[in-house]
Amino acid sequence: MAAARDAIADLPRLGLGLGLRSVHFDTILADRPPVDWFEAISENFMDSGGRPRSVIREVAEHYPVVLHGVSLSIGSSDPLDLDYLARLKRLAAEISPAWISDHLCWTGVMGRNSHDLLPVPLNEASLAHVAARVRQVQDVLERPLVLENPSSYVRFASSTMEEPEFLRRLAGETGCGLLLDVNNVYVSCFNAGADPVAYIHAFPCESVVQMHLAGHQHEGSHIVDTHDRPVRPEVWDLFRLAWARTGGASTLLEWDGDIPDFAECHAELLKAKGFMGGRTDPEAPGRLDPVGPEGLSNPVGFLVPRVMDSILLEEA
Amino acid sequence: MSALRAEQEWMHHALIFPREVDGDERDGLLSASPNLSAAAGLAIYQRGYFLRIAACMREQFPALTRALGEPLFDDFVADYIRDRPPESHTLYDLGRRFPAWLGENRPDRDRPPAERELWIDFMIDLARFERQVFALFDAPGHEGRPFAGEDTPDDRLRLQPCFDLGAYDFPVPAYYHAVREQREAPLPPAGRSFAALVRTDYVTRTISLTEPQYLFLEAMAGGADVEAAAEAVARHLGTTAEGVIEAWRTSGQRRRWIGWGFFIEG
Repeated sequence: MAAARDAIADLPRLGLGLGLRSVHFDTILADRPPVDWFEAISENFMDSGGRPRSVIREVAEHYPVVLHGVSLSIGSSDPLDLDYLARLKRLAAEISPAWISDHLCWTGVMGRNSHDLLPVPLNEASLAHVAARVRQVQDVLERPLVLENPSSYVRFASSTMEEPEFLRRLAGETGCGLLLDVNNVYVSCFNAGADPVAYIHAFPCESVVQMHLAGHQHEGSHIVDTHDRPVRPEVWDLFRLAWARTGGASTLLEWDGDIPDFAECHAELLKAKGFMGGRTDPEAPGRLDPVGPEGLSNPVGFLVPRVMDSILLEEA
Repeated sequence: MSALRAEQEWMHHALIFPREVDGDERDGLLSASPNLSAAAGLAIYQRGYFLRIAACMREQFPALTRALGEPLFDDFVADYIRDRPPESHTLYDLGRRFPAWLGENRPDRDRPPAERELWIDFMIDLARFERQVFALFDAPGHEGRPFAGEDTPDDRLRLQPCFDLGAYDFPVPAYYHAVREQREAPLPPAGRSFAALVRTDYVTRTISLTEPQYLFLEAMAGGADVEAAAEAVARHLGTTAEGVIEAWRTSGQRRRWIGWGFFIEG
């Protein structure tokens, strides 16, 4: 555990990064845009025998890369998937990511996978359960794990502690690092009727390795974590606080639905620079999104390649 | 069973079978917040479970989505994931069991085979083809290594790893490519069709085949060399293996197949 904690302290501060998305592959490979680093969704590359694996190898030759998983299911009551971990470890050996992260969540049970990031009850029993699994993962991967606070819409009645406390104790007991998703803080706190600023103040920022930013859909009564639009002013404001409290942790923009071209994503990311020095956003917060159909929380469609774009017909 | 296990089994069941949720049980397991009741919060997960998977399935079966229309395709997906909830960590696996499931659950499955609807046969064929195409996209391939050339002796030709074959009761490859090119794509009449799928430089090619060509490649996929594959075709056509090989060469098929990257040197 002490070794893992030391390893977390030694991790680099990478600056401002973007999620590596297949719609941007050609631009990134051709233009080598001046992005500090990329975060790749582990599951998109760990099983790949095709172009995605080739692309991530090439990207990793030119940029720092981090692996971010969505299926580790660290909070599940199913046994850990050791085959999954072996595949993840092989990919890590190939591309040498700066770190490997996933979420404080469970994705399935009874051998099934919901492909969603489901909330974990936050109590002593689940803390002991998750801590044991984090240690097991760290032993297999031979590196510290970094865990993210998920966006949430429900809270289990069996929860006895708040998420910052749970993550503080988890990091303390296992030496794991934390990924502070500032947008998720805002989404979860709004939905729970809690104060996002108090959440950031309670968060163990000394364990934060990385931060996430993303857009969400404000429905008035609740917020959906859609990742399909620019970062909202309230989240930028929270980021300003989180940036100061984490001492400038590596920061990454996620854009996963209706993904615009690379330049627009990059420009959105670079807005972060304006908040690093303590600036507050000139836009008035609290604006609701235009009325429309409710978006999808944690969209994953971007993870499925458009195979039709790379197939030709030949006559024999 | 631990409390965590019970909570997770309950919530997972609630995602797959939203109508079976008992309100009292839900309100006992989940806390309401000032902004979201337990029911409203759970509903976001329930709605997202289906929509998230349906969106991925439409990406994996775009031509089938077009053929059925999105609402009907989504209805099939809803039934499919209730019967066969996803099991893998990868979304790429979502469609693996879909063609077989469609075959087992076709709406006219209780009728005698002769009375079944042809359009359903077409949809199942199309689903099979699209699954093959999707699987080949990210399968282990031979990129970055040498392929066989025209001067490679026949006895050293082996099929490359990123290769697949299909025999269909409808011209589904042609339909698929019509959809891809955004052309009019009426449902075609029944008719046997054969195709090879091969990937080079991360681009997949669909090559339509005659039945003898399909049999030739099917034999090679089963481990036969060129001579043995030609013998399989000769038996089918009632001719000689030498004649089959001669026709393969003089027709330009050998050259084209090598050009498309069918073969590596064994």
